[in-house]
Amino acid sequence: MKKFVLYGLIGIGIIGLIGGIWWLFAQPAGDGHGPSFFISTGIFLLVFAAISLRWMHETAAALLGAATVWLVHYVGGAFFPALHIINFEESMSFVDWNVIWLIMGMMIFMAMFSETGAINWVAFRAFRLANGNAWLLGIALFLLTALISAFLNNVTAILLLVPLSIQIAQTVGVHPFAYVIPEVLASNIGGAMTIIGDPPSTIVGSHLELSFVEYLANMAPIAILCMIPFLIVISWLYRHEFAGAKTEFSPALVSQLENDARITDAALLRKAGVVGLLMMIMFFTGDFFGGMPPAVIALSGAAILVAWVRPDMHRMLHEVDWTTLIFFIGIFVIVGGLEAAGVISWIAGNIGNLAGGSLTLATILMIWIPGIASGIVANIPFTVAALPIADFLTSTIPGAENIVLYWALILGADMGGNSTILGSAASIVAVGLLAQAGYRLSFGRFMRDGVPVVIVTLLTATIWLLIQY
Amino acid sequence: MGKILCATRGGEASYPTQDAVIALAKEQNDELAFLYVVDISFLNRTAAPLVVDVESRLEKLGQFQLVMAQERAASQGVASQTIVRRGHLQAELAATAKEIGATIIVLGGPLGPNAVFEEAALKTFAGKIEEETGIKTRII
Repeated sequence: MKKFVLYGLIGIGIIGLIGGIWWLFAQPAGDGHGPSFFISTGIFLLVFAAISLRWMHETAAALLGAATVWLVHYVGGAFFPALHIINFEESMSFVDWNVIWLIMGMMIFMAMFSETGAINWVAFRAFRLANGNAWLLGIALFLLTALISAFLNNVTAILLLVPLSIQIAQTVGVHPFAYVIPEVLASNIGGAMTIIGDPPSTIVGSHLELSFVEYLANMAPIAILCMIPFLIVISWLYRHEFAGAKTEFSPALVSQLENDARITDAALLRKAGVVGLLMMIMFFTGDFFGGMPPAVIALSGAAILVAWVRPDMHRMLHEVDWTTLIFFIGIFVIVGGLEAAGVISWIAGNIGNLAGGSLTLATILMIWIPGIASGIVANIPFTVAALPIADFLTSTIPGAENIVLYWALILGADMGGNSTILGSAASIVAVGLLAQAGYRLSFGRFMRDGVPVVIVTLLTATIWLLIQY
Repeated sequence: MGKILCATRGGEASYPTQDAVIALAKEQNDELAFLYVVDISFLNRTAAPLVVDVESRLEKLGQFQLVMAQERAASQGVASQTIVRRGHLQAELAATAKEIGATIIVLGGPLGPNAVFEEAALKTFAGKIEEETGIKTRII
């Protein structure tokens, strides 16, 4: 199904490119949809397909796409003016630097915090406190994952918790899928809670220039509410697994587990704890300081921690994942090309016609289209491309000024990624971690848990949005 | 007395191989060593921010998997050694086999649709290991 859709996208991409070339010769300077319209669409769809089908690394695909946009503009445009898509300076204005700096600041903080071993220590305490109750232990791990996802980010939560969760599952005699799959699902639900939790949240929140508190006040209640049906579904799906868990554990395994869950650097934990707390205070009081952007707070926290801890800066900068930042810049440039070529306004106009001026229908479309699409294609480029559509609909549909369509987009993009293994980076990473422990998580096996969770969480979110806004 | 080196990732699919290699060690009165190789190349599939020291975490996971294998061997009266290495499986397996003076290398055969490796790929892999090390390599 997924391949069918993606091959369709590739087909449309190639048709777009061919259409652009044909149009170039047939109507080089005409009005309406000129060659730049088709070529920028073709580039976007091909990049989309390359990312979703894993033809190449996501960053390489985004970089190649951005370079193609500029090459078509400058080289092609030198011979045929109708090929002007967007110049370098204009495309830079489409890059949301707040997103880039926010992610970079949080990466520096996370890289240092993750060295402390604090998260694994908490997970091991949960193991002790659950006292052999595999269900209770699972609930604790899922809630912990959601919380870490909200305040660090979802991929970091998975990287920190999944290896230990596999060990815990093997110790208590539960299949690792029973803890790891729900942790992935919880990370994507929890990630919607804050502006720093999941890339679509950061992208939309930054676009709207929302403060941490403004975002949290709107999204935390719904994310917490969605955790309830999620926990019910998971408890039911794994009822036999949890009921059949061991009650007595191997002392050697528990000892190994305890050893792996120690605080590894207490001094660093104290410093990171103080800075983390300060960052949280600043996030919550940012409005008081003239609407200080979350990026400034994240970078300030990272700078203070670096100055205090004095790590090897070369190593520190090596730990910043530059591929992520380049990926985001590339995607912003490609989508900027789409906007400049008029593709986005054309799509937005059609969706506006489909909604027919109804805010209810537009809200449903804005949550379920990204919700379904995020399971099939990469949700970051999708969100960046959908933002101008939300802008258009918000400015044209009566009553949409309360930005409900943006909340719908965030919830759809964040939680919709739970339906398949390829829907989020968190699940891709979890699959690799499970394989390292000898467990192959198939596409269908993940969907068995993911699809029902997506249905109940998106239904809950839809009802909440329709009532609340 | 020889020395058997068994590469394992742990997990249910590896238990039949572990049991077979334990039985082989017992039967031949050979020494037994379990090897786990941490390979983080799977992280190269996403642009998500990967700022956690994943290798260290997987090293701990690997050690845990090998403690499980060691317990399994001990319960059948066989003492075993555990080794965790970082890198690519082929290079690390060959290097470890030479270092510890292994006389047999054992790889787990694919077990059902959920196996991490496919049978044909595993046979090719075993052939390469045998060619590189000159040590008999068996798939169990």
